[in-house]
Amino acid sequence: MSVAPPGESANRLRGDLMAYASLSLISIFCAIPFFWLLIASFDSNAQLFLRWPETWTFANYLRVFTKEDGAKWLFNSLFVVGVATFLVMVLSGLGGYALSRTRAWWKLPFLYAILLIRVLPSTALVVPLYKFLLTLNNAEGALLRPIFGSATRDIMRWTGFIDGYLGLILVLATMQLPLSLWIMKTFFDDLPRDYEEAALMDGATMIQRIRRVLIPLALPGLAASGLFAFMSAWGDFLLPLILLSSPELQTLPLGLFRAFLRINEIDYGLLTALAFIYLVPAVVAFGFARRFLVQTFSGGVKG
Amino acid sequence: MAKTLQERRAERQLMIVLLPSLLLLVAFVIYPAIYSVYLSFTNEALTGAAARAPRFVGWRNYTRLFNDAKFWNALFVTFVFVLGAAIIGQFVLGLVSAIALRRRLVFRTVFSSIILLPNAAPEVVAGFMWISMLAGGDHATLSRFVFFFGLPTADWLQVFPLAMIIVVNTWRGIATAMILLTAGLSTIPQEIYEAARMDGATPAQMFRRITLPLMMPTILLYMLISTVSTIAVFGLVYALTRGGPGGATELISIYIYNQSFTAYQLGYGAAVVVIALLVSLLLGIAYARAAKVEI
Repeated sequence: MSVAPPGESANRLRGDLMAYASLSLISIFCAIPFFWLLIASFDSNAQLFLRWPETWTFANYLRVFTKEDGAKWLFNSLFVVGVATFLVMVLSGLGGYALSRTRAWWKLPFLYAILLIRVLPSTALVVPLYKFLLTLNNAEGALLRPIFGSATRDIMRWTGFIDGYLGLILVLATMQLPLSLWIMKTFFDDLPRDYEEAALMDGATMIQRIRRVLIPLALPGLAASGLFAFMSAWGDFLLPLILLSSPELQTLPLGLFRAFLRINEIDYGLLTALAFIYLVPAVVAFGFARRFLVQTFSGGVKG
Repeated sequence: MAKTLQERRAERQLMIVLLPSLLLLVAFVIYPAIYSVYLSFTNEALTGAAARAPRFVGWRNYTRLFNDAKFWNALFVTFVFVLGAAIIGQFVLGLVSAIALRRRLVFRTVFSSIILLPNAAPEVVAGFMWISMLAGGDHATLSRFVFFFGLPTADWLQVFPLAMIIVVNTWRGIATAMILLTAGLSTIPQEIYEAARMDGATPAQMFRRITLPLMMPTILLYMLISTVSTIAVFGLVYALTRGGPGGATELISIYIYNQSFTAYQLGYGAAVVVIALLVSLLLGIAYARAAKVEI
Protein backbone atom coordinates (compact mmCIF):
# COMPACT_ATOMS: atom_id res chain seq x y z
CA MET A 1 0.00 0.00 0.00
CA SER A 2 1.21 3.45 -0.84
CA VAL A 3 1.07 6.30 1.63
CA ALA A 4 -2.51 7.45 1.96
CA PRO A 5 -3.14 11.04 0.93
CA PRO A 6 -3.79 13.29 3.94
CA GLY A 7 -7.44 13.71 3.00
CA GLU A 8 -8.03 9.99 3.19
CA SER A 9 -6.72 9.43 6.71
CA ALA A 10 -8.76 12.39 7.89
CA ASN A 11 -11.75 10.74 6.29
CA ARG A 12 -11.00 7.48 8.05
CA LEU A 13 -10.67 9.22 11.42
CA ARG A 14 -13.96 11.01 10.90
CA GLY A 15 -15.62 7.73 9.95
CA ASP A 16 -14.23 6.01 13.03
CA LEU A 17 -15.44 8.81 15.27
CA MET A 18 -18.90 8.65 13.75
CA ALA A 19 -18.94 4.88 14.25
CA TYR A 20 -17.93 5.24 17.91
CA ALA A 21 -20.55 7.92 18.48
CA SER A 22 -23.44 6.02 16.91
CA LEU A 23 -22.47 2.71 18.53
CA SER A 24 -22.18 4.40 21.93
CA LEU A 25 -25.65 5.92 21.62
CA ILE A 26 -27.22 2.64 20.47
CA SER A 27 -25.42 0.73 23.22
CA ILE A 28 -26.65 3.13 25.91
CA PHE A 29 -30.19 2.72 24.56
CA CYS A 30 -29.78 -1.07 24.70
CA ALA A 31 -28.12 -1.25 28.11
CA ILE A 32 -29.95 1.25 30.33
CA PRO A 33 -32.96 -0.97 31.17
CA PHE A 34 -30.63 -3.79 32.25
CA PHE A 35 -28.65 -1.34 34.34
CA TRP A 36 -31.78 -0.44 36.31
CA LEU A 37 -32.73 -4.09 36.80
CA LEU A 38 -29.26 -4.99 38.04
CA ILE A 39 -28.73 -2.21 40.57
CA ALA A 40 -32.33 -2.06 41.79
CA SER A 41 -32.16 -5.76 42.62
CA PHE A 42 -29.34 -5.01 45.11
CA ASP A 43 -30.90 -1.82 46.45
CA SER A 44 -32.39 -2.05 49.94
CA ASN A 45 -34.87 0.68 49.00
CA ALA A 46 -35.46 -0.11 45.31
CA GLN A 47 -37.73 2.20 43.33
CA LEU A 48 -39.38 2.12 39.94
CA PHE A 49 -36.85 4.63 38.67
CA LEU A 50 -33.12 4.39 38.21
CA ARG A 51 -31.15 5.49 41.27
CA TRP A 52 -27.89 4.71 42.95
CA PRO A 53 -28.52 2.58 46.07
CA GLU A 54 -27.71 4.07 49.46
CA THR A 55 -27.17 0.61 50.91
CA TRP A 56 -26.50 -2.56 48.96
CA THR A 57 -28.19 -5.78 49.99
CA PHE A 58 -28.89 -9.38 49.09
CA ALA A 59 -32.19 -9.32 50.96
CA ASN A 60 -34.21 -8.84 47.76
CA TYR A 61 -32.99 -12.16 46.44
CA LEU A 62 -33.73 -13.87 49.74
CA ARG A 63 -37.28 -12.46 49.76
CA VAL A 64 -37.91 -14.04 46.32
CA PHE A 65 -37.59 -17.40 48.03
CA THR A 66 -39.07 -16.61 51.45
CA LYS A 67 -41.86 -14.11 50.83
CA GLU A 68 -42.87 -15.40 47.38
CA ASP A 69 -42.83 -18.88 45.93
CA GLY A 70 -39.70 -18.14 43.91
CA ALA A 71 -38.23 -21.60 44.43
CA LYS A 72 -41.38 -23.27 43.12
CA TRP A 73 -41.56 -20.97 40.08
CA LEU A 74 -37.90 -21.55 39.31
CA PHE A 75 -38.35 -25.31 39.64
CA ASN A 76 -41.46 -25.29 37.42
CA SER A 77 -39.70 -23.25 34.74
CA LEU A 78 -36.56 -25.36 34.82
CA PHE A 79 -38.56 -28.59 34.79
CA VAL A 80 -41.01 -27.68 32.04
CA VAL A 81 -38.47 -25.97 29.78
CA GLY A 82 -35.80 -28.58 30.51
CA VAL A 83 -37.99 -31.53 29.59
CA ALA A 84 -39.34 -29.71 26.52
CA THR A 85 -35.79 -28.91 25.38
CA PHE A 86 -34.69 -32.51 25.85
CA LEU A 87 -37.72 -33.69 23.90
CA VAL A 88 -36.96 -31.25 21.09
CA MET A 89 -33.35 -32.40 20.92
CA VAL A 90 -34.35 -36.06 20.64
CA LEU A 91 -37.15 -35.49 18.15
CA SER A 92 -35.29 -32.98 16.01
CA GLY A 93 -32.18 -35.16 15.99
CA LEU A 94 -34.12 -38.15 14.70
CA GLY A 95 -36.45 -36.14 12.47
CA GLY A 96 -33.70 -33.92 11.06
CA TYR A 97 -31.72 -37.03 10.18
CA ALA A 98 -34.72 -38.55 8.42
CA LEU A 99 -35.40 -35.31 6.53
CA SER A 100 -31.81 -35.08 5.41
CA ARG A 101 -31.39 -38.69 4.28
CA THR A 102 -34.74 -39.62 2.84
CA ARG A 103 -35.47 -39.68 -0.88
CA ALA A 104 -39.17 -40.24 -0.40
CA TRP A 105 -41.89 -38.15 -2.04
CA TRP A 106 -42.92 -36.53 1.23
CA LYS A 107 -39.57 -34.82 1.77
CA LEU A 108 -40.33 -31.59 -0.11
CA PRO A 109 -43.94 -31.18 1.05
CA PHE A 110 -42.82 -31.74 4.63
CA LEU A 111 -40.00 -29.19 4.41
CA TYR A 112 -42.28 -26.57 2.86
CA ALA A 113 -44.86 -27.31 5.53
CA ILE A 114 -42.46 -26.70 8.44
CA LEU A 115 -41.28 -23.53 6.74
CA LEU A 116 -44.86 -22.26 6.58
CA ILE A 117 -45.61 -23.42 10.11
CA ARG A 118 -42.78 -21.23 11.31
CA VAL A 119 -44.53 -18.10 10.05
CA LEU A 120 -47.81 -18.89 11.81
CA PRO A 121 -47.98 -16.64 14.86
CA SER A 122 -48.47 -18.72 18.01
CA THR A 123 -50.88 -16.05 19.23
CA ALA A 124 -53.20 -17.07 16.39
CA LEU A 125 -52.92 -20.76 17.21
CA VAL A 126 -53.68 -20.59 20.92
CA VAL A 127 -57.45 -20.18 20.61
CA PRO A 128 -58.16 -23.43 18.71
CA LEU A 129 -55.28 -25.08 20.55
CA TYR A 130 -56.83 -24.23 23.89
CA LYS A 131 -60.18 -25.63 22.80
CA PHE A 132 -58.53 -28.82 21.52
CA LEU A 133 -56.48 -29.29 24.70
CA LEU A 134 -59.59 -28.72 26.79
CA THR A 135 -61.32 -31.59 24.95
CA LEU A 136 -58.30 -33.85 25.46
CA ASN A 137 -58.13 -32.86 29.09
CA ASN A 138 -61.82 -33.59 29.75
CA ALA A 139 -61.51 -36.94 28.02
CA GLU A 140 -58.49 -37.81 30.14
CA GLY A 141 -60.32 -36.70 33.28
CA ALA A 142 -63.37 -38.79 32.43
CA LEU A 143 -61.10 -41.77 31.86
CA LEU A 144 -59.08 -41.41 35.06
CA ARG A 145 -61.79 -40.35 37.50
CA PRO A 146 -63.55 -43.74 37.77
CA ILE A 147 -60.19 -45.40 38.43
CA PHE A 148 -58.45 -42.96 40.76
CA GLY A 149 -61.37 -41.04 42.26
CA SER A 150 -60.30 -38.08 44.32
CA ALA A 151 -56.61 -38.59 43.50
CA THR A 152 -57.35 -37.73 39.86
CA ARG A 153 -56.52 -34.03 40.31
CA ASP A 154 -53.07 -34.86 41.70
CA ILE A 155 -52.32 -37.13 38.76
CA MET A 156 -53.69 -34.65 36.24
CA ARG A 157 -51.34 -32.03 37.63
CA TRP A 158 -48.61 -34.05 35.95
CA THR A 159 -50.43 -35.60 33.00
CA GLY A 160 -53.16 -33.04 32.30
CA PHE A 161 -53.34 -31.11 29.04
CA ILE A 162 -54.78 -27.98 30.65
CA ASP A 163 -53.23 -26.89 33.92
CA GLY A 164 -50.80 -29.81 33.93
CA TYR A 165 -47.11 -30.24 33.17
CA LEU A 166 -47.60 -32.64 30.27
CA GLY A 167 -49.75 -30.35 28.13
CA LEU A 168 -47.44 -27.36 28.53
CA ILE A 169 -44.34 -29.47 27.86
CA LEU A 170 -45.75 -31.03 24.70
CA VAL A 171 -47.04 -27.75 23.28
CA LEU A 172 -43.84 -25.85 24.15
CA ALA A 173 -41.77 -28.58 22.49
CA THR A 174 -43.97 -28.64 19.40
CA MET A 175 -43.64 -24.89 18.91
CA GLN A 176 -39.82 -25.25 18.82
CA LEU A 177 -39.82 -28.27 16.51
CA PRO A 178 -39.97 -26.53 13.10
CA LEU A 179 -36.82 -24.47 13.70
CA SER A 180 -35.01 -27.35 15.40
CA LEU A 181 -35.90 -29.81 12.65
CA TRP A 182 -34.62 -27.30 10.15
CA ILE A 183 -31.35 -26.80 12.04
CA MET A 184 -30.77 -30.56 12.31
CA LYS A 185 -31.72 -31.19 8.69
CA THR A 186 -29.19 -28.65 7.42
CA PHE A 187 -26.64 -29.99 9.90
CA PHE A 188 -26.97 -33.57 8.63
CA ASP A 189 -26.90 -32.32 5.03
CA ASP A 190 -23.34 -31.13 5.65
CA LEU A 191 -22.33 -34.39 7.33
CA PRO A 192 -20.76 -36.93 4.96
CA ARG A 193 -22.63 -40.18 4.63
CA ASP A 194 -19.44 -42.26 4.60
CA TYR A 195 -19.52 -43.12 8.29
CA GLU A 196 -23.09 -44.37 8.26
CA GLU A 197 -22.55 -46.29 5.06
CA ALA A 198 -19.51 -47.95 6.55
CA ALA A 199 -21.52 -48.84 9.64
CA LEU A 200 -24.32 -50.10 7.42
CA MET A 201 -21.84 -52.28 5.53
CA ASP A 202 -20.66 -53.73 8.84
CA GLY A 203 -24.24 -54.76 9.46
CA ALA A 204 -25.03 -52.28 12.21
CA THR A 205 -28.71 -51.88 13.01
CA MET A 206 -30.52 -48.55 12.95
CA ILE A 207 -30.23 -48.21 16.74
CA GLN A 208 -26.53 -49.00 16.67
CA ARG A 209 -25.93 -46.53 13.87
CA ILE A 210 -27.71 -43.82 15.80
CA ARG A 211 -25.94 -44.51 19.08
CA ARG A 212 -22.41 -45.17 17.91
CA VAL A 213 -22.13 -43.02 14.83
CA LEU A 214 -24.77 -40.34 14.57
CA ILE A 215 -25.10 -39.02 18.11
CA PRO A 216 -21.36 -38.35 18.54
CA LEU A 217 -21.23 -36.68 15.11
CA ALA A 218 -24.42 -34.69 15.65
CA LEU A 219 -23.52 -33.16 19.01
CA PRO A 220 -22.75 -29.65 17.69
CA GLY A 221 -26.01 -29.58 15.77
CA LEU A 222 -27.94 -30.89 18.75
CA ALA A 223 -26.36 -28.19 20.90
CA ALA A 224 -27.61 -25.50 18.53
CA SER A 225 -31.04 -27.03 18.25
CA GLY A 226 -31.32 -27.42 22.02
CA LEU A 227 -30.09 -23.89 22.75
CA PHE A 228 -32.62 -22.26 20.47
CA ALA A 229 -35.41 -24.43 21.81
CA PHE A 230 -34.40 -23.57 25.37
CA MET A 231 -34.23 -19.82 24.74
CA SER A 232 -37.55 -19.65 22.99
CA ALA A 233 -39.36 -21.89 25.48
CA TRP A 234 -37.77 -20.15 28.46
CA GLY A 235 -38.92 -16.73 27.24
CA ASP A 236 -42.42 -17.85 26.26
CA PHE A 237 -45.16 -16.12 28.18
CA LEU A 238 -48.31 -16.78 26.17
CA LEU A 239 -48.49 -20.56 26.54
CA PRO A 240 -48.10 -20.73 30.32
CA LEU A 241 -50.47 -17.76 30.60
CA ILE A 242 -53.18 -19.70 28.79
CA LEU A 243 -52.47 -23.27 29.86
CA LEU A 244 -51.72 -22.86 33.58
CA SER A 245 -53.95 -21.60 36.37
CA SER A 246 -52.97 -23.45 39.57
CA PRO A 247 -50.58 -21.44 41.76
CA GLU A 248 -48.42 -24.50 42.35
CA LEU A 249 -47.75 -24.89 38.61
CA GLN A 250 -46.78 -21.26 37.93
CA THR A 251 -43.58 -20.62 36.05
CA LEU A 252 -41.21 -17.66 36.40
CA PRO A 253 -42.77 -15.41 33.72
CA LEU A 254 -46.24 -15.88 35.24
CA GLY A 255 -44.95 -15.33 38.76
CA LEU A 256 -43.21 -12.14 37.67
CA PHE A 257 -46.22 -10.89 35.71
CA ARG A 258 -48.73 -11.61 38.46
CA ALA A 259 -46.51 -10.23 41.23
CA PHE A 260 -46.27 -7.05 39.21
CA LEU A 261 -50.04 -6.80 38.81
CA ARG A 262 -50.56 -6.61 42.57
CA ILE A 263 -50.36 -2.83 42.31
CA ASN A 264 -51.13 -2.08 45.95
CA GLU A 265 -48.04 -3.74 47.40
CA ILE A 266 -45.37 -3.56 44.73
CA ASP A 267 -41.98 -4.52 46.13
CA TYR A 268 -39.53 -3.37 43.46
CA GLY A 269 -36.54 -4.95 45.17
CA LEU A 270 -38.19 -8.34 45.07
CA LEU A 271 -39.51 -7.91 41.52
CA THR A 272 -36.17 -6.84 40.07
CA ALA A 273 -34.41 -9.70 41.87
CA LEU A 274 -36.99 -12.14 40.50
CA ALA A 275 -36.65 -10.70 36.99
CA PHE A 276 -32.88 -10.94 37.24
CA ILE A 277 -33.05 -14.61 38.29
CA TYR A 278 -35.32 -15.23 35.31
CA LEU A 279 -33.03 -13.28 32.99
CA VAL A 280 -29.72 -14.99 33.78
CA PRO A 281 -30.33 -18.43 32.15
CA ALA A 282 -31.64 -16.68 29.03
CA VAL A 283 -28.54 -14.52 28.70
CA VAL A 284 -26.18 -17.45 29.37
CA ALA A 285 -27.91 -19.55 26.71
CA PHE A 286 -27.83 -16.62 24.30
CA GLY A 287 -24.10 -16.24 24.90
CA PHE A 288 -23.55 -19.87 23.92
CA ALA A 289 -25.90 -19.59 20.95
CA ARG A 290 -24.23 -16.49 19.57
CA ARG A 291 -22.09 -18.26 17.02
CA PHE A 292 -25.11 -20.07 15.60
CA LEU A 293 -27.17 -16.90 15.25
CA VAL A 294 -26.21 -15.97 11.71
CA GLN A 295 -27.14 -19.29 10.10
CA THR A 296 -30.34 -19.53 12.08
CA PHE A 297 -31.56 -16.02 11.38
CA SER A 298 -30.92 -16.27 7.68
CA GLY A 299 -32.02 -19.89 7.46
CA GLY A 300 -35.39 -19.40 9.02
CA VAL A 301 -37.94 -17.07 10.48
CA LYS A 302 -38.12 -15.79 14.08
CA GLY A 303 -35.24 -15.64 16.57
CA MET B 1 -32.80 -57.04 -5.62
CA ALA B 2 -31.45 -57.36 -2.07
CA LYS B 3 -30.23 -53.80 -2.19
CA THR B 4 -33.61 -52.32 -2.97
CA LEU B 5 -35.12 -54.34 -0.19
CA GLN B 6 -32.56 -52.93 2.21
CA GLU B 7 -33.12 -49.46 0.86
CA ARG B 8 -36.84 -49.79 1.29
CA ARG B 9 -36.31 -50.88 4.86
CA ALA B 10 -34.05 -47.88 5.48
CA GLU B 11 -36.68 -45.53 4.04
CA ARG B 12 -39.30 -47.05 6.32
CA GLN B 13 -37.04 -46.59 9.33
CA LEU B 14 -36.50 -42.94 8.41
CA MET B 15 -40.23 -42.42 8.29
CA ILE B 16 -40.64 -44.05 11.70
CA VAL B 17 -38.10 -41.76 13.39
CA LEU B 18 -39.79 -38.72 11.87
CA LEU B 19 -43.22 -39.86 12.95
CA PRO B 20 -43.23 -38.46 16.54
CA SER B 21 -42.37 -34.98 15.26
CA LEU B 22 -45.02 -35.26 12.59
CA LEU B 23 -47.66 -36.36 15.10
CA LEU B 24 -46.92 -33.46 17.45
CA LEU B 25 -47.00 -30.91 14.64
CA VAL B 26 -50.25 -32.29 13.28
CA ALA B 27 -51.88 -32.43 16.72
CA PHE B 28 -50.78 -29.06 18.09
CA VAL B 29 -50.26 -26.88 14.99
CA ILE B 30 -51.96 -28.14 11.84
CA TYR B 31 -55.11 -29.49 13.42
CA PRO B 32 -55.69 -26.33 15.53
CA ALA B 33 -55.12 -24.16 12.44
CA ILE B 34 -57.77 -26.10 10.50
CA TYR B 35 -60.02 -26.33 13.55
CA SER B 36 -59.95 -22.53 13.84
CA VAL B 37 -61.58 -22.31 10.41
CA TYR B 38 -64.42 -24.52 11.68
CA LEU B 39 -64.67 -22.59 14.98
CA SER B 40 -64.94 -19.32 13.10
CA PHE B 41 -68.30 -20.47 11.65
CA THR B 42 -69.77 -21.26 15.08
CA ASN B 43 -70.81 -19.24 18.11
CA GLU B 44 -68.50 -21.27 20.35
CA ALA B 45 -67.74 -19.61 23.70
CA LEU B 46 -65.71 -20.49 26.77
CA THR B 47 -68.63 -20.15 29.18
CA GLY B 48 -72.40 -19.82 29.07
CA ALA B 49 -75.08 -21.45 26.93
CA ALA B 50 -73.03 -21.27 23.72
CA ALA B 51 -70.24 -23.28 25.37
CA ARG B 52 -72.58 -26.19 26.07
CA ALA B 53 -74.33 -26.23 22.71
CA PRO B 54 -72.40 -24.30 20.06
CA ARG B 55 -74.35 -23.62 16.88
CA PHE B 56 -73.27 -23.14 13.29
CA VAL B 57 -73.72 -19.46 12.48
CA GLY B 58 -72.46 -19.23 8.89
CA TRP B 59 -70.60 -16.06 8.01
CA ARG B 60 -71.97 -14.11 10.96
CA ASN B 61 -68.62 -13.86 12.76
CA TYR B 62 -67.04 -12.50 9.61
CA THR B 63 -69.73 -9.90 8.93
CA ARG B 64 -69.47 -8.86 12.56
CA LEU B 65 -65.70 -8.70 12.19
CA PHE B 66 -65.77 -6.40 9.20
CA ASN B 67 -68.19 -4.08 10.97
CA ASP B 68 -66.21 -4.09 14.20
CA ALA B 69 -64.31 -0.84 14.70
CA LYS B 70 -62.09 -2.55 17.29
CA PHE B 71 -60.95 -5.11 14.70
CA TRP B 72 -60.00 -2.39 12.21
CA ASN B 73 -58.29 -0.54 15.04
CA ALA B 74 -56.28 -3.69 15.87
CA LEU B 75 -55.27 -4.07 12.22
CA PHE B 76 -54.25 -0.43 12.05
CA VAL B 77 -52.28 -0.61 15.31
CA THR B 78 -50.50 -3.75 14.10
CA PHE B 79 -49.68 -2.10 10.78
CA VAL B 80 -48.20 1.00 12.43
CA PHE B 81 -46.35 -1.19 14.93
CA VAL B 82 -44.75 -3.34 12.22
CA LEU B 83 -43.95 -0.29 10.09
CA GLY B 84 -42.47 1.72 12.96
CA ALA B 85 -40.58 -1.04 14.74
CA ALA B 86 -39.59 -3.66 12.17
CA ILE B 87 -39.44 -1.73 8.90
CA ILE B 88 -38.05 1.57 10.18
CA GLY B 89 -36.72 1.47 13.76
CA GLN B 90 -34.89 -1.85 13.91
CA PHE B 91 -33.80 -1.61 10.31
CA VAL B 92 -32.21 1.84 10.58
CA LEU B 93 -30.49 1.21 13.92
CA GLY B 94 -29.48 -2.31 12.85
CA LEU B 95 -28.00 -1.03 9.60
CA VAL B 96 -26.10 1.76 11.37
CA SER B 97 -24.73 -0.78 13.88
CA ALA B 98 -23.81 -3.28 11.17
CA ILE B 99 -21.96 -0.67 9.09
CA ALA B 100 -20.21 0.86 12.12
CA LEU B 101 -19.13 -2.56 13.39
CA ARG B 102 -17.36 -3.31 10.09
CA ARG B 103 -14.63 -0.90 11.14
CA ARG B 104 -11.72 -2.09 13.23
CA LEU B 105 -12.83 -0.41 16.45
CA VAL B 106 -11.35 -0.96 19.89
CA PHE B 107 -14.53 -2.03 21.72
CA ARG B 108 -16.09 -3.92 18.81
CA THR B 109 -17.07 -7.05 20.76
CA VAL B 110 -18.29 -5.00 23.70
CA PHE B 111 -20.56 -2.94 21.47
CA SER B 112 -21.97 -5.93 19.60
CA SER B 113 -22.56 -7.87 22.84
CA ILE B 114 -24.49 -4.97 24.35
CA ILE B 115 -26.59 -4.58 21.21
CA LEU B 116 -27.40 -8.31 21.26
CA LEU B 117 -28.43 -8.23 24.92
CA PRO B 118 -32.05 -7.00 24.52
CA ASN B 119 -32.74 -9.90 22.18
CA ALA B 120 -31.82 -12.33 24.95
CA ALA B 121 -34.21 -10.85 27.53
CA PRO B 122 -37.48 -12.78 27.98
CA GLU B 123 -40.53 -10.78 26.90
CA VAL B 124 -41.89 -10.24 30.39
CA VAL B 125 -38.55 -9.06 31.75
CA ALA B 126 -38.20 -6.67 28.81
CA GLY B 127 -41.70 -5.31 29.44
CA PHE B 128 -41.00 -4.91 33.14
CA MET B 129 -37.74 -3.03 32.55
CA TRP B 130 -39.44 -0.65 30.16
CA ILE B 131 -42.26 0.06 32.59
CA SER B 132 -39.51 1.53 34.71
CA MET B 133 -37.91 3.47 31.85
CA LEU B 134 -41.23 4.94 30.68
CA ALA B 135 -42.98 5.49 34.02
CA GLY B 136 -44.75 8.73 34.76
CA GLY B 137 -43.28 11.32 37.10
CA ASP B 138 -40.07 13.29 36.86
CA HIS B 139 -37.81 10.52 38.16
CA ALA B 140 -38.34 7.94 35.40
CA THR B 141 -35.38 7.51 33.08
CA LEU B 142 -36.95 8.81 29.88
CA SER B 143 -38.47 11.79 31.69
CA ARG B 144 -35.10 12.72 33.16
CA PHE B 145 -33.52 12.33 29.76
CA VAL B 146 -35.95 14.65 27.96
CA PHE B 147 -35.89 17.06 30.92
CA PHE B 148 -32.12 17.27 30.44
CA PHE B 149 -32.79 18.60 26.94
CA GLY B 150 -35.37 21.06 28.27
CA LEU B 151 -38.39 19.18 26.90
CA PRO B 152 -41.62 18.57 28.82
CA THR B 153 -41.99 15.22 30.61
CA ALA B 154 -45.06 12.99 30.43
CA ASP B 155 -46.57 9.72 31.56
CA TRP B 156 -45.18 8.14 28.42
CA LEU B 157 -47.26 4.96 28.21
CA GLN B 158 -50.45 6.97 28.74
CA VAL B 159 -49.75 9.85 26.39
CA PHE B 160 -47.80 8.18 23.56
CA PRO B 161 -48.62 4.48 23.98
CA LEU B 162 -48.20 3.34 20.37
CA ALA B 163 -44.97 5.28 19.87
CA MET B 164 -43.60 3.81 23.10
CA ILE B 165 -44.28 0.17 22.22
CA ILE B 166 -42.59 0.86 18.87
CA VAL B 167 -39.54 2.18 20.72
CA VAL B 168 -39.49 -0.87 23.00
CA ASN B 169 -39.84 -3.38 20.18
CA THR B 170 -37.16 -1.54 18.21
CA TRP B 171 -34.90 -1.86 21.23
CA ARG B 172 -35.53 -5.59 21.31
CA GLY B 173 -35.08 -6.19 17.58
CA ILE B 174 -31.97 -4.17 16.65
CA ALA B 175 -29.96 -7.37 17.10
CA THR B 176 -31.96 -9.33 14.51
CA ALA B 177 -31.47 -6.61 11.92
CA MET B 178 -27.81 -6.16 12.82
CA ILE B 179 -27.02 -9.87 12.51
CA LEU B 180 -28.78 -10.34 9.18
CA LEU B 181 -27.44 -7.13 7.66
CA THR B 182 -23.90 -7.87 8.87
CA ALA B 183 -24.10 -11.18 7.05
CA GLY B 184 -25.34 -9.35 3.95
CA LEU B 185 -22.60 -6.70 4.14
CA SER B 186 -19.87 -9.30 4.41
CA THR B 187 -20.79 -10.69 0.99
CA ILE B 188 -19.96 -7.39 -0.75
CA PRO B 189 -16.40 -7.64 -2.06
CA GLN B 190 -14.09 -4.98 -0.59
CA GLU B 191 -12.51 -4.38 -4.04
CA ILE B 192 -15.63 -2.61 -5.29
CA TYR B 193 -15.21 0.03 -2.60
CA GLU B 194 -11.50 0.36 -3.33
CA ALA B 195 -12.25 0.93 -6.99
CA ALA B 196 -14.95 3.46 -6.22
CA ARG B 197 -12.63 5.29 -3.84
CA MET B 198 -10.01 5.46 -6.60
CA ASP B 199 -12.61 7.09 -8.80
CA GLY B 200 -13.17 9.68 -6.07
CA ALA B 201 -16.57 8.54 -4.86
CA THR B 202 -17.78 10.02 -1.56
CA PRO B 203 -18.93 7.71 1.27
CA ALA B 204 -22.54 8.82 0.69
CA GLN B 205 -22.29 7.96 -3.00
CA MET B 206 -20.74 4.58 -2.23
CA PHE B 207 -23.54 3.80 0.20
CA ARG B 208 -26.24 4.72 -2.30
CA ARG B 209 -24.67 3.23 -5.43
CA ILE B 210 -22.91 0.13 -4.03
CA THR B 211 -24.05 -0.87 -0.55
CA LEU B 212 -27.80 -0.42 -0.96
CA PRO B 213 -28.27 -2.12 -4.35
CA LEU B 214 -26.05 -5.08 -3.45
CA MET B 215 -27.77 -5.42 -0.08
CA MET B 216 -31.29 -5.44 -1.55
CA PRO B 217 -31.84 -9.23 -1.37
CA THR B 218 -30.73 -9.28 2.28
CA ILE B 219 -32.86 -6.24 3.08
CA LEU B 220 -35.90 -7.85 1.51
CA LEU B 221 -35.31 -11.06 3.44
CA TYR B 222 -34.95 -9.07 6.66
CA MET B 223 -38.17 -7.15 5.98
CA LEU B 224 -40.13 -10.38 5.54
CA ILE B 225 -38.62 -12.13 8.57
CA SER B 226 -39.09 -9.14 10.84
CA THR B 227 -42.63 -8.46 9.60
CA VAL B 228 -43.68 -12.02 10.32
CA SER B 229 -42.06 -12.09 13.75
CA THR B 230 -43.34 -8.62 14.70
CA ILE B 231 -46.93 -9.57 13.84
CA ALA B 232 -46.54 -12.39 16.36
CA VAL B 233 -45.34 -10.17 19.23
CA PHE B 234 -47.56 -10.63 22.26
CA GLY B 235 -45.89 -10.89 25.67
CA LEU B 236 -43.74 -7.78 25.36
CA VAL B 237 -46.65 -5.44 24.65
CA TYR B 238 -49.08 -7.33 26.85
CA ALA B 239 -46.75 -6.97 29.84
CA LEU B 240 -46.37 -3.26 29.11
CA THR B 241 -49.90 -2.10 28.34
CA ARG B 242 -52.27 -5.10 28.02
CA GLY B 243 -53.56 -3.36 24.88
CA GLY B 244 -54.47 -0.13 26.59
CA PRO B 245 -55.05 2.67 27.15
CA GLY B 246 -58.39 2.42 25.35
CA GLY B 247 -57.16 -0.02 22.69
CA ALA B 248 -54.32 2.28 21.60
CA THR B 249 -51.83 -0.61 21.68
CA GLU B 250 -54.24 -3.47 21.00
CA LEU B 251 -52.25 -5.42 18.43
CA ILE B 252 -54.09 -8.12 16.51
CA SER B 253 -52.46 -10.73 18.80
CA ILE B 254 -53.72 -8.96 21.92
CA TYR B 255 -57.15 -8.47 20.32
CA ILE B 256 -57.38 -12.23 19.70
CA TYR B 257 -56.38 -12.92 23.29
CA ASN B 258 -58.83 -10.41 24.72
CA GLN B 259 -61.74 -11.60 22.58
CA SER B 260 -61.13 -15.26 23.37
CA PHE B 261 -59.95 -15.29 26.97
CA THR B 262 -61.39 -12.10 28.42
CA ALA B 263 -64.66 -11.88 26.49
CA TYR B 264 -64.76 -15.71 26.07
CA GLN B 265 -65.91 -15.40 22.43
CA LEU B 266 -63.98 -18.33 20.93
CA GLY B 267 -65.95 -18.41 17.67
CA TYR B 268 -65.47 -14.73 17.03
CA GLY B 269 -61.83 -14.91 18.14
CA ALA B 270 -61.33 -17.75 15.65
CA ALA B 271 -62.54 -15.56 12.80
CA VAL B 272 -59.81 -13.06 13.68
CA VAL B 273 -57.38 -15.97 13.89
CA VAL B 274 -58.28 -17.11 10.37
CA ILE B 275 -57.58 -13.62 8.99
CA ALA B 276 -54.25 -13.49 10.86
CA LEU B 277 -53.31 -16.98 9.63
CA LEU B 278 -54.11 -16.06 6.02
CA VAL B 279 -51.97 -12.91 6.17
CA SER B 280 -49.09 -14.82 7.76
CA LEU B 281 -49.32 -17.63 5.21
CA LEU B 282 -49.16 -15.16 2.33
CA LEU B 283 -46.08 -13.53 3.89
CA GLY B 284 -44.62 -16.99 4.48
CA ILE B 285 -44.99 -17.98 0.84
CA ALA B 286 -43.38 -14.70 -0.18
CA TYR B 287 -40.59 -15.44 2.27
CA ALA B 288 -39.99 -18.97 1.01
CA ARG B 289 -39.66 -17.53 -2.50
CA ALA B 290 -37.50 -14.54 -1.57
CA ALA B 291 -35.15 -16.59 0.57
CA LYS B 292 -34.80 -19.14 -2.24
CA VAL B 293 -34.57 -21.66 0.55
CA GLU B 294 -32.44 -24.63 -0.41
CA ILE B 295 -34.21 -27.87 0.21
